[in-house]
Amino acid sequence: MNTRACWEARGRQTFLGFGMALWMGLSLGVEAVASTNHWAFKPSRKPDVPTRFRASHAGSNPIDAFIFSTLQGQGMAPAGPAEPAVLLRRITFDLTGLPPTPEELGNFLKRPTEKAYAEVVERLLASPHYGERWGRHWMDVARYADTAGDNADYPVPEIRLYRDYIINAFNQDMPYDQFVEEQLAGDILAKRGPPDRHAERVVATGFLALSRRYGTGPFELWHLTLENTLETVSQAFLGLNLKCARCHDHKFDPATMRDYYGLYGIFASTEFPWAGSEEVQSKNFPRQKFVSLVPEAMAAPSLSAWQARLAALRSKIAQAEKLKPGDKPGEERWKKDLEALKQEFRILERPGSPADLPVAYAVQDGKAMDAFLQLRGEPGNHGPMVPRCAPNFLAGGGPLAIPDGTSGRLEFARWVTRPDNPLTARVMVNRIWQHHFGRGIVATPNNLGVRGDAPSHPELLDYLASRFVEGGWSVKAVHRLIVSSKTYRMSSGKAPANHSRDPSNRYYSSFERRRLEAEEIRDAMLFASGGLDLTRPGGHPFPPPEKWTWTQHKPFKDCYESSHRSVYLMTQRLQRHPFMGLFDGPDTNSSTEARRVSTVPQQALFALNNAFVENQARLLARRVLASTASEREKLRELCSRAWGRFPTQPEELLFRDWIGRAAASLKDSAGANGGAVEEAWTGLARVVLISNEFMYVD
Amino acid sequence: MWISSALTRRDFLSRCLPANLAAAAGARLSRLRFAAAMGGGHALAPKPSHHPAKAKRLVFVFLTGGFSHVDTFDPKPALAASHGKPIPAFGLRPDEARSLPLLGSKFEFQACGKSGLAISELFPCLGAMADELCVIRSMHTDIVEHFQATLAMHTGSATVPLPSLGAWLSYGLGTLNANLPAYVVLAEHLPYAGAQVWDSSFLPGEHQGVRLLPGPRPVADLEAPARLVSLRQMEEVLLRDVDSAHFERRRSDSRLRARMTSFETARGMMREVPGVFDMSGESGRTLGAYGVVPGDNKSFAWQCLAARRLVERGVRVVELIDTGSHDNWDSHGDMETHRPKALRVDKALAALLGDLKERGLLEETLVAICTEFGRTPWSDGGNGKGRNHYAKAFSCLLSGAGVKGGMTHGATDEYGANIVLDPCHVHDYHATILHLMGLDHERLTYRYGGRDFRLTDVAGRVLNPILA
Repeated sequence: MNTRACWEARGRQTFLGFGMALWMGLSLGVEAVASTNHWAFKPSRKPDVPTRFRASHAGSNPIDAFIFSTLQGQGMAPAGPAEPAVLLRRITFDLTGLPPTPEELGNFLKRPTEKAYAEVVERLLASPHYGERWGRHWMDVARYADTAGDNADYPVPEIRLYRDYIINAFNQDMPYDQFVEEQLAGDILAKRGPPDRHAERVVATGFLALSRRYGTGPFELWHLTLENTLETVSQAFLGLNLKCARCHDHKFDPATMRDYYGLYGIFASTEFPWAGSEEVQSKNFPRQKFVSLVPEAMAAPSLSAWQARLAALRSKIAQAEKLKPGDKPGEERWKKDLEALKQEFRILERPGSPADLPVAYAVQDGKAMDAFLQLRGEPGNHGPMVPRCAPNFLAGGGPLAIPDGTSGRLEFARWVTRPDNPLTARVMVNRIWQHHFGRGIVATPNNLGVRGDAPSHPELLDYLASRFVEGGWSVKAVHRLIVSSKTYRMSSGKAPANHSRDPSNRYYSSFERRRLEAEEIRDAMLFASGGLDLTRPGGHPFPPPEKWTWTQHKPFKDCYESSHRSVYLMTQRLQRHPFMGLFDGPDTNSSTEARRVSTVPQQALFALNNAFVENQARLLARRVLASTASEREKLRELCSRAWGRFPTQPEELLFRDWIGRAAASLKDSAGANGGAVEEAWTGLARVVLISNEFMYVD
Repeated sequence: MWISSALTRRDFLSRCLPANLAAAAGARLSRLRFAAAMGGGHALAPKPSHHPAKAKRLVFVFLTGGFSHVDTFDPKPALAASHGKPIPAFGLRPDEARSLPLLGSKFEFQACGKSGLAISELFPCLGAMADELCVIRSMHTDIVEHFQATLAMHTGSATVPLPSLGAWLSYGLGTLNANLPAYVVLAEHLPYAGAQVWDSSFLPGEHQGVRLLPGPRPVADLEAPARLVSLRQMEEVLLRDVDSAHFERRRSDSRLRARMTSFETARGMMREVPGVFDMSGESGRTLGAYGVVPGDNKSFAWQCLAARRLVERGVRVVELIDTGSHDNWDSHGDMETHRPKALRVDKALAALLGDLKERGLLEETLVAICTEFGRTPWSDGGNGKGRNHYAKAFSCLLSGAGVKGGMTHGATDEYGANIVLDPCHVHDYHATILHLMGLDHERLTYRYGGRDFRLTDVAGRVLNPILA
């Protein structure tokens, strides 16, 4: 079969005209710059804040000093501040993925002061819904899915623990260096105690366990799975694309095959779980190598009891099968007993671990070994053995001091989180910036390497990265710095001159309007209607393991109804969730650095005709009608729940008139009095919920 | 222009009522006139072409996986004669030089039609349409990976996703029927590079291809929930008013307008799509020609018939993608696996050409049949029966409006390994398609990020000898 070699190798020029110049950052002078001099591979230093702006325009926020000085250099003026209601809706969606409530809106509009805004920010950062929003961003990067991706796409019920770990980590403001280390080596850290953190550290390695599976049999095409591991690890934490180095050394890219296979050895020395697959089920192998959530010693009794029980059942079944006709308790009875035994065996065996032993889809150290270089990326084509190492071309990279008999994951993790690692902090602050402003300072957040985009504001990026490390890797501290800036609080109105000068708003002369992401659309509709269950759900309603018989011809394929937040929806690898797919949800097979935003008529058809929208509109109408308030108050509630603002006077008149006419027309045709009012309000709710104002955040 | 400038967009839309096929011709024409009068008022309103052209619409047929030129449209007797002879060759990439045995085609070629165009036994029905076909035997592309080559054949870019050919045509010419998307893709399975191949990228979102899924419900959420018509109409007006007022204060944001347009298209689809896929009015002869059997709503034959019905209703670009990223023309193991793939598409494609011709539609419809790259004249190692990917030479077809039929363009050497006459790069193929549709590929530009972008980047030449 064809390899997945890189097009870059061919260095063809025909397709690489000026389109490439823009996209691939040739303005950076990729070919001219000796790649080891690449900006992102050198340690970041904390630049001085442009002083001219410190006191005057920008106030005390250093972000404004950087942004406004660049704007002035470009001859552009920043937009004025956003209206209070706009700002409240922006910050609330931004930090929690949910709209503000009418009460929150009313309170803020009464006193939209600096202090009140700061209090709003603190309230949102302390909300459990903050982690659901920002954890989802990380789940995109971690190519989170609830299935394994093998040809039959077996479900992984346990992986939700990793999802919850991510959400909790963001909510607790877990220092980012710890977050990184636990995802790369949590199982090793868990063994060092304390016992009360054992389970969650093991769970954290779900990041690695989630590597895409291929084929129909256990551990088939394993080099492709490890490729997915390496790709995701390097993109997520280091903002590097090492893919090319799997097959060849690259002319312009400093990453060599030795770097690739140096890292490869670390993960080849790691034992991954196997969630099941066609062959595993047909041959009666249970799921394999899930990791116990309790320390080994505590797990041992349960494990051995389970194994003993399995062995006993196995021999009982064998005995029963061997019974001669004369010894049988009657043919029917014998068949029934035997089937009961087999069923008992299946229920016990198929989960792959004892029912009383909680396990995670996680990794642990396996047989420690260096890897052979794979010539041309072909796993059977061995080159020299490469000692495990961190990428040599990075400042501080090279050999790792790996204790004998261990994979080296912990040493690699510690190298990633060294304060002088040139990439780790830059990559993460760039992601945080990206999700506040719609685009990263580097517009290719998974690729800060030589073929990624050049940063629009390199000094600001380094400044934020330095502050991030100095502040103990606190993500929430970066949020506070960003959202308190004037840059973040600008209006989204574009001055025509700025728009023609800088159509993509690379210089942030105004706030960039954005469409809600798939999760926000669904959650905001449910939230407005009162139908959103804000609690965290338990496991997905997968069928029990003893019933699993999926094959590549009939793969696992399901879609579970839920009234919980969308971050908790069951998402698969081989099937896209219909709603998430329609509204540009993430790729669940490889790291998604940024969501796309498409506008297609199918989305409009969904808005017009899907029962989900219909139901939320009706519930919203009923909710508004249930209050005894005046019609004016009802309209204010309806608008504020959907748009995060109260209606203007002309709008109020328009809507009241519309409702009157709609109800009258319904009364005439249907003759149902009470029903007509609800129908009319449902119609208005539907319009408001599918309008552009609902879908976009200014 | 005979129409008064007081015509509002709402008038335009209200007159775009479902096409009653009985009155279709007249209605379509008047709708066209309304639409033209609307000019820029509707994002998909027809725009004048750069030069007069016969082709008004494009059917773009993409056969996934890379069909082998030397087994289909580029006969090589010398290759058969030298079968088994080792020659300096390469696997996936030219830098993997090694010696591999030549692999003669196992498929017979016949001189077809009056023109005597040579087409292999894999395509007997297309062979019968030979006099309508122009075979370009000198295609070449830059990259031999499916993903990148598929992207290149669709967007001109093998690397970063750029706007698709269909999106460029929608942008350049607008649509002929505002009740349907300008660019429709019929694809049962996702191709390599997925939805990027029909994406509008930086072009406004309304030009993005709309994928219809062959099967019982080609379009989800097409039926309106039970509701009184009067209320539905009131809602429609209110939504437009609310969105327009919102847009008035944010006029620089074309995304908002694109989303408003998407609602108009969606409502049009609700009216027209059921009719597109209701094939009960097709004659038994037509159904039989395509190979559509009763109850079929999914086969490639059905898709070809659906393509004709979409073309008939004024969809600017209809794309047909025969298979997805697996189980396709990627015959590494045995060229024999080309046979079922060809069997699946041959009759239906020929029927589509014949049907378009019979209805006079081929005079204004361009049909392109292409793939991402060719296959090696030598075997792919292993059991020696299959062929590897090959970018240096392959064949693609053009047919219909503005194209000379029964001809070949360009030539490869005795083994089909190298182009010896009139090379045609993917950019040239695109330039020619745009030219045939009335667009100058150097003038069809879009300014983005301070640069003018083109489908053909900085390259592309029109293949003048094939123009009728």
